Amino acid sequence: KLGHPSELPPEPVPDYEGDEEFLRRVHHVLLEVEVLEGALRCPDSGRRFPISRGVPNMLLTEDEP
Amino acid sequence: SVVGGCGRLPALPRQPGMAEAEAAGDSGLGPAAAQESAELAAVIGATVPTGFEQTAAEEVQEKLGSASRISKDRGKIYFEVPARSLPQVHRLRSVDNLFVVVQEFKDYQFKENKEDALKDLENLVKKLPWTDSLKVWELNNSLKKKKTKRKKHNLQSPASREKLSDGGEEGGADQNNTNDQENCAQNPMAVEPTGGQDTEKPQGATSRNGVEEEEDSEQSDVKVEVQASSESRTKAGDGQTGEGEAKVLRFRVTCNRAGDKHSFTSNEAARDFGGAVQEHFQWKADMTNFDVEVLLNIHNNEVVVGIALTEESLHRRNITHFGPTTLRSTLAYGMLRLCDPQPTDIIVDPMCGTGAIPIEGAAEWPYCYHIAGDNSPQAVKRAANNICSLLRKNESKDSSTAQGVPLDILQWDICSLPLRTGSVDIVVTDMPFGKRIGSKKKNWDLYPACLMEMGRICTPGTGRAVLLTQDKKCFAKALSRVGHIWRRAQTVWVNVGGLHAAVYLLRRTWERAEERRSFW
Repeated sequence: KLGHPSELPPEPVPDYEGDEEFLRRVHHVLLEVEVLEGALRCPDSGRRFPISRGVPNMLLTEDEP
Repeated sequence: SVVGGCGRLPALPRQPGMAEAEAAGDSGLGPAAAQESAELAAVIGATVPTGFEQTAAEEVQEKLGSASRISKDRGKIYFEVPARSLPQVHRLRSVDNLFVVVQEFKDYQFKENKEDALKDLENLVKKLPWTDSLKVWELNNSLKKKKTKRKKHNLQSPASREKLSDGGEEGGADQNNTNDQENCAQNPMAVEPTGGQDTEKPQGATSRNGVEEEEDSEQSDVKVEVQASSESRTKAGDGQTGEGEAKVLRFRVTCNRAGDKHSFTSNEAARDFGGAVQEHFQWKADMTNFDVEVLLNIHNNEVVVGIALTEESLHRRNITHFGPTTLRSTLAYGMLRLCDPQPTDIIVDPMCGTGAIPIEGAAEWPYCYHIAGDNSPQAVKRAANNICSLLRKNESKDSSTAQGVPLDILQWDICSLPLRTGSVDIVVTDMPFGKRIGSKKKNWDLYPACLMEMGRICTPGTGRAVLLTQDKKCFAKALSRVGHIWRRAQTVWVNVGGLHAAVYLLRRTWERAEERRSFW
């Protein structure tokens, strides 16, 4: 959910290794896009981890396990 | 043949059309002379982090195709290359300093009497084959000048250099000058007496023991542009103007002496040898603004006379923002090489500090993906700045779009890494030393927890870890508790800022880590 027109499907398609177009888009998002300000969200818990100046802060607070 | 009494190298007119010749201040070598020099077989000596001689030899073999000889004098290797390979030699990443060997004596017999021994050294000067080495030195100069022109000025003041001592061994003994100037004031020869250790220790000043000193990490974000050569001293050598009058060269002698059977000190040897050099070449002795640094390395009965080709250690090349415990890039490189990174490997440094290791990794192994993390916000900030500097350096070349670097940095807790189990190929890090950061007691608890977590993220069977630590006892104990996850494969004994440390290569066993039913 980058708010960026990357057009990635929600899940990798089967046989994604052979799908060059898909691979190009994944490569772009993984290696060519840098999030400077934003957040990462845990898919299980929903917990937000802020990203500031390109650096995500993954530290948990004292009350989190 | 030996250069005769006249110490002035001939001033050759600058020739147009010489490959990459730049405007003023070129070395003055005409194309024919340069061509000839380029074909000379140069025996190069390189200082490397002690313990990593083999690694360095492998890099030399790989990149230059030459076999190396590893000296008994620890931290040095020797190899032969044609002088035209000098640019590639300078790009070696496991090497701190370089010199060209004038002559090597494998079994030099020192006279027992001090005066006699010193006299022998003095007499040696005129018999040495200086010519070819000086040609190599000259060729090397022309390379340095080209580099200097392209890069920005380095404005390191001596004061800030002193401050930055974090124990990393500064290869250039010129640091010592500011301390020893008073001692040498009376001595008209003014040859450099320091750098001479009477104990077994690689070049480094005992007076600047960076161990005690702990920089205040809040304030001192000292920004240092570390480029190939510093402009902070006026280089006397700049003035080979080729306009008739050649300048007299300035020199100094640096002597390193190790062994318990010598009747003289390194200071004395440097002084007398220097006297003979001055006499022979009619050069001018100058401790700080020298063109030629003559090296006299004495290790028991092994004597090597060389001429320095680097003036300041290469090991700070990637790091512009220092922290209190920044690791030398050459040591970082050695550690990375030890784990034999393969293309597509994921390499993680979970306690990256200012990022020395991952930055070196991303630069040299661009087909791997590097992830760096630290819990300290200052460290993360510094590391991010160092990465930016690296990006800017890449940017300044002709590419229109900024070239990325396969490296990311996060702020995290080593004991709770946000990484999937078994997803990382290589873990490489500089573990906190009790003496500089944290405490020995903290390490007692930290080390086992680290090893467990690093074991969890690492791929069973094929994964490996390379860990540097000074707290060997604590490490050994922690390791014994995680024997089901990590096996010790190799140990390299190293010297980090005067502290005896060890680098452990560990292999991940095939046993799978428990899936953590936890936050992640």
